Amino acid sequence: MNENERQMSEAESLSIISGMINRTKNRLSETGTLYLLWGWVILVCCIAQFVSLQYFNYQKGYQVWFLTWLAVIYQFIYLAKRKKRKKVKTYTDEIIGFVWLTFMICGFIMVFILIKQKAYENINPLILVLYGMPTFLSGIILKFRPLIIGGICCWLLALASPFVPFEYHLLLLACAVIAAWIIPGYLLRAKFKKEN
Amino acid sequence: MEFKELDPILHAPLRLAVISLLLSVKEAEFTFIKEKTNSTAGNLSVQISKLKEAEYIEVTKQFRDNYPLTICKITPRGVDAFENYVKALQSYMHPGEL
Repeated sequence: MNENERQMSEAESLSIISGMINRTKNRLSETGTLYLLWGWVILVCCIAQFVSLQYFNYQKGYQVWFLTWLAVIYQFIYLAKRKKRKKVKTYTDEIIGFVWLTFMICGFIMVFILIKQKAYENINPLILVLYGMPTFLSGIILKFRPLIIGGICCWLLALASPFVPFEYHLLLLACAVIAAWIIPGYLLRAKFKKEN
Repeated sequence: MEFKELDPILHAPLRLAVISLLLSVKEAEFTFIKEKTNSTAGNLSVQISKLKEAEYIEVTKQFRDNYPLTICKITPRGVDAFENYVKALQSYMHPGEL
């Protein structure tokens, strides 16, 4: 009898089903690259703007944020390449992608409104609130505790922001990216290397 | 005691493996399925065609960098068939409970 049409026992059927499901379950496809990219870019921008304002009284230090456009370009190239390499699309990848897209849209709209209202002092605390959301959710979806802790750190820093002078808000943001993106980014990279 | 009939399309090792694999992902390339099921390309394409004929999976062919690419995705009909298959399997394993 042909191997494909032979009769299987019930136990054999169940073992095939569970075996196949286990092969794709918890398959970590996140390398942490984008967490590290954004973590380092935002950290450099925060520190550079803070130092230029505090120590050199240079008011146009915000221009360093144009670096983020380079990061956006790199991200597009990286994602296009990753899409080419990927042989499988999981529901987890898709949901996480949408979580970050939602974050970017909300962040863009929020910053636009706050700039229009000239409410500059509120930008960083509210960005911190927003940062927590995709980080926390990604941690839950990937079952990766460092991201969950990173998300909670963002919210704690946001809560602390009304008690911290405005000129130090950039440092709160710097702490947030270290906790939410840089540390989990390196841990994700290590986990990915170990599993793959 | 009544036993439900096991769907012959799914009651074959490689086809069952393909459906189980596609159930847990959104879509997968032919090469991914081949690798995970440890099957040969020829055998796998025959089984995939059978699943496609039964409308249990959707197969799309694309080109990437001039190389053909086959992407497979389970259909709602495939999900139903899989659920019925598991129920039928349960009736064999625990006949008293159904």
